[in-house]
Amino acid sequence: MGLMFRTWGAVLTVTVLLPDGRPQPGIVVTAYPTTGPSRPAAPVEAVMDQLNRAFEPDLLVIPVSSEVTFPNSDTVSHQVYSFSPAKRFQLPLYRGKPYPPERFEQPGLVTLGCNIHDEMLAYIFVTDAPFFGRTAADGAWSAEVPNGRYRILIWHPRIRDEDQDLRDEVTVADAGGTLTLHLKKPLRPAPLEGRPHSWDRY
Amino acid sequence: MGPLLKRAASLAAALAALTLARQAAAADWELDLDGRLVSVNGPFPIIAGGLGSTRFGGDQSGARLGRARFAVTQNLGELWSLSLDASSWGDRDKIPVGLTEGYLLWRPYPWAGYRLRVKTGAFYAPVSLENRTAGWESPYTLSYSAIDSWIAQEVRTIGTEAQLDWLGTHTGHDFDVGLTGAVFGWNDGAGAALAGGGFTLTDRQSVLWGRVGNPAVPPVRAAEPFRELDGRPGVYGGFEARYLDRLVLRFLHYDNRADPGAVDVVSHTAAWDTTFNSAGMRFDGDHGWTGIFQWLSGSTYISPGGEDERWPFRAHYVLLSKRFGNHTLSARYDWFTVEGYRDEGEDDGWQRGHASTLAYIFQADARWRFTLEWVHVVSTSYNREELGQGDAIGSQTQTQLAVRYAFGTSPQ
Repeated sequence: MGLMFRTWGAVLTVTVLLPDGRPQPGIVVTAYPTTGPSRPAAPVEAVMDQLNRAFEPDLLVIPVSSEVTFPNSDTVSHQVYSFSPAKRFQLPLYRGKPYPPERFEQPGLVTLGCNIHDEMLAYIFVTDAPFFGRTAADGAWSAEVPNGRYRILIWHPRIRDEDQDLRDEVTVADAGGTLTLHLKKPLRPAPLEGRPHSWDRY
Repeated sequence: MGPLLKRAASLAAALAALTLARQAAAADWELDLDGRLVSVNGPFPIIAGGLGSTRFGGDQSGARLGRARFAVTQNLGELWSLSLDASSWGDRDKIPVGLTEGYLLWRPYPWAGYRLRVKTGAFYAPVSLENRTAGWESPYTLSYSAIDSWIAQEVRTIGTEAQLDWLGTHTGHDFDVGLTGAVFGWNDGAGAALAGGGFTLTDRQSVLWGRVGNPAVPPVRAAEPFRELDGRPGVYGGFEARYLDRLVLRFLHYDNRADPGAVDVVSHTAAWDTTFNSAGMRFDGDHGWTGIFQWLSGSTYISPGGEDERWPFRAHYVLLSKRFGNHTLSARYDWFTVEGYRDEGEDDGWQRGHASTLAYIFQADARWRFTLEWVHVVSTSYNREELGQGDAIGSQTQTQLAVRYAFGTSPQ
């Protein structure tokens, strides 16, 4: 994402491991310098689609002031809403009717639902961190950052650990910096796959 | 309502549904045609005046209409929607096409972690955990469990229901909880077909103001579940808890609060005072596994002219299902009992039984569905022997091959 590709010289690597030691992909990682000014990453334009009565993707990570469009690729209507403090909104999405994007000005977690299809659930993680991303298949996320000390926060909708166990600090020197976070609790079960969405009418 | 008025109301509703579907671009509609090849033994089903335990019976083997269904949901502004679900079942009812459900739904956007839903019209009470797809059908079997077959036959909410949910899963928790309450009328006949005919395993849903049975044939004759005889509204209240998308627990207490002494002076039919508790659990697991348990216990009571007759009833079932891609294999075992007491001594009407159901469903795509189902019911029935429809102890086996095609904007 934008800022990651600037060449700073030193590589920060954060790895997230489950209690049994296996790496966990998909974890949101944010990195804030502990000293000096911290400017959020540049805003982006992102898409949160509705496809087969599900949100696609189920988790979107964006910098503050980003805009998100909700196109509705389904043949049925949706009514997307959020009552999260970071962004409250209601967006009726009728078939074939485009809507202007929503702008996310405040950092925080925005939980999305559909007022017609109760089983639909997705998240928009709005961050003011200058560096952020999600862990890859090896459980690691890396970014080139200026040397210094960083506060690292991780998040995922399925994490059960207490907030204080989801943060740490790391120093990045010329040789880089690495941090490994061990989750204490297993993740919540993943949403079930393959069950037809039409099985939730009653 | 007079019979002519009811028929006119049903036709008007069906026509309104068709008009809405044609004219309104935002309406979601569906037309399902479900044809069956049936092989069955034993007595005729209750709907045809018999005391059979399955949807079909007697000489009804062969090609049959399973269901022709037309449903439409029309948004009315942003927060309201109207849903109509009309069906024809290919058997002799006084209403050839009728509504199984028809209601106005108010769904304000959830706020501060709470979600409110208010329904007004005619719809199913939240009892079943297997009837989870459009048209109140089951994705596991053709024939519903004994409990849900009875609900399909005699229990419908014609009134207003409110449901308030706390959405924990939207606020970082693992579970949601909800409370439901309803006030309703026109269900004073609920219990008559159960007392006379016992539990069955069927997918024949009674249409609104339809009837169950043949007027000329006892003991059910032509039960009319959707009548209001005493002007006393019924109520139910329930609780639901959900753990992520994996576990659902439900409890409901239903009481139609009918006056057991009320009798319709024209038809001489009594009001059936029916109460029940129902509880259930559904678990959806990894690898396509589903397990369902439902339990129901209650009684129905009439006292025309001060002569008390009471039929306590109980039923439960377990269902296990496994989905392999488009293929679903399901097995269910049902137990059920109806007792009959007249002035405290055990008397007529009792039935005890159990049933095995095996089903294979191939959902080829969103529109085509093929089902093969085998149902075997073993039961003892006082009425069956008393009325010369077979031995007190009997069994009935029904095998069905069903082919269903769905037209419309929102097929399953």
